[in-house]
Amino acid sequence: MKTFVFPNSPTSSILAQQYGYHEWLINRFLQFVPDVKCFLEKMEREPQLYIRVNTLKINTKDLKEKLVSKGFELEDTILDDVLSVKKQIFRAGATTEYLLGYYYIQDLSSCLAVDALDVRESQSVLDMASAPGGKTTYISQKMRNTGILVALETNPRRMRALRFNLQRCGVINTCVLKLDANNAIDLNMQFERVILDAPCSCEGIIAKDKSRKINHRPEDIEFCAARQSTLIETAVKLVKPGGLLVYSTCSFAPEENETIVNLLLEKHDVEIEPIRYGSEGLTSFGVLHFNLKLKNTRRFYPHIHNTLGFYIAKLRVYS
Amino acid sequence: MYRRPTRQELTILNRAFNKWGVFDFFKNKSILIKEIKTRNTREIYFLSNEIEKIALSEQPSYAGLMIGELKKNFSLSMQGADLISKVSKQFPYIIVNETAEKSTLYGKNVYSRSIISTSSAINENEVVIILNQKREAIAIGKTRFGESLLLQNDKIAVTTMIDAGLYLRSEGNKR
Repeated sequence: MKTFVFPNSPTSSILAQQYGYHEWLINRFLQFVPDVKCFLEKMEREPQLYIRVNTLKINTKDLKEKLVSKGFELEDTILDDVLSVKKQIFRAGATTEYLLGYYYIQDLSSCLAVDALDVRESQSVLDMASAPGGKTTYISQKMRNTGILVALETNPRRMRALRFNLQRCGVINTCVLKLDANNAIDLNMQFERVILDAPCSCEGIIAKDKSRKINHRPEDIEFCAARQSTLIETAVKLVKPGGLLVYSTCSFAPEENETIVNLLLEKHDVEIEPIRYGSEGLTSFGVLHFNLKLKNTRRFYPHIHNTLGFYIAKLRVYS
Repeated sequence: MYRRPTRQELTILNRAFNKWGVFDFFKNKSILIKEIKTRNTREIYFLSNEIEKIALSEQPSYAGLMIGELKKNFSLSMQGADLISKVSKQFPYIIVNETAEKSTLYGKNVYSRSIISTSSAINENEVVIILNQKREAIAIGKTRFGESLLLQNDKIAVTTMIDAGLYLRSEGNKR
């Protein structure tokens, strides 16, 4: 599907110039992002830093005490095991506690995707795009290191990072397969839970990587959407009937989010389940009109939710 | 390739687990061996019982927690040391002060003056777990002196072999 590009307007021209974006991107944001000026302003600032407590090794209270005694200022978030870092004396990735695997530096939105997966002890779970391991280690912790967690990764460099994080976090219930997620059907297995944090155009991390304001092209969205569409088709076949599939991206683009999920709803016996946090998914974009149930998917905007840009769909798969 | 340990390998492992005070902990737990031909070593993995079957059938790139390596003898990994520091009641260790904690995490050796206390009956050339004051495993080292001289000389007392900061340093150097 072609990426939607809208006509330029005086507003898009001013905002593109003011914040240094390609105008086509601003034009798209104007279609669906609430309060675009505030959104662009927020993207100029350093994103909020979050840490996720690795409860396989320490509880939230004890970690808080350790870090606060070192001068960190932390605040609770909507998730019990995720803390917002308001002040760090030195880099959160350089503390003894980090090296010992007591926490993982991970955006709240990414943690919410795992929360939506609703994993329990002793279940079977597939993480289709696992490196560097933020979601994988969080899933393992929610499973209390029991059951079966299969993680897929093909890139050797990312595999090293994944291995380091699994080791650091003390994970014993996970096996990492060097297998392209597109070929995951070759596993000949079905899982009670599948998470597909799909490779995407990464619009949601512009606050971390400003180069994406101008390096990003409409073709990137097309390329990613085509890949996501194939991946989600594979993912749905890997879920046991009655199981859950969580689909997520760190992109704002509806072509990579609602469009993909809408297509899945048309082709499979799948229901969207509600998620506690975030803004409602879109039900239209440009000339497209989606199933109204897409409202139950969730969008995360930096200026509203104080997270990176993110999208989550929680899907119950019946057949 | 992941496989179950042979009887001979199990004997070596059980002897090592006994030395580190984790023999009982590993009873009835899944332990697998992964042959690393390029380095002529065998990595020892501790896995949940459920994942063991998958590891044997699917032969993944990686499964479970690497607790050490087996060449002629067993040598601990940092994760093995971390586990021992949490579950074992009796193992060879030294406890270092805060200054040494930081330098050890950069791979530096430990001076006598930085050692706060040690386990009893430590020998020269003994492998010990280096703990910080909160008794968390930050490194593994080898003593240069026996217990009696370990705290008395103002010299390097323990050579740091591996530490918890090693991976991040090595990745940083690759960039």
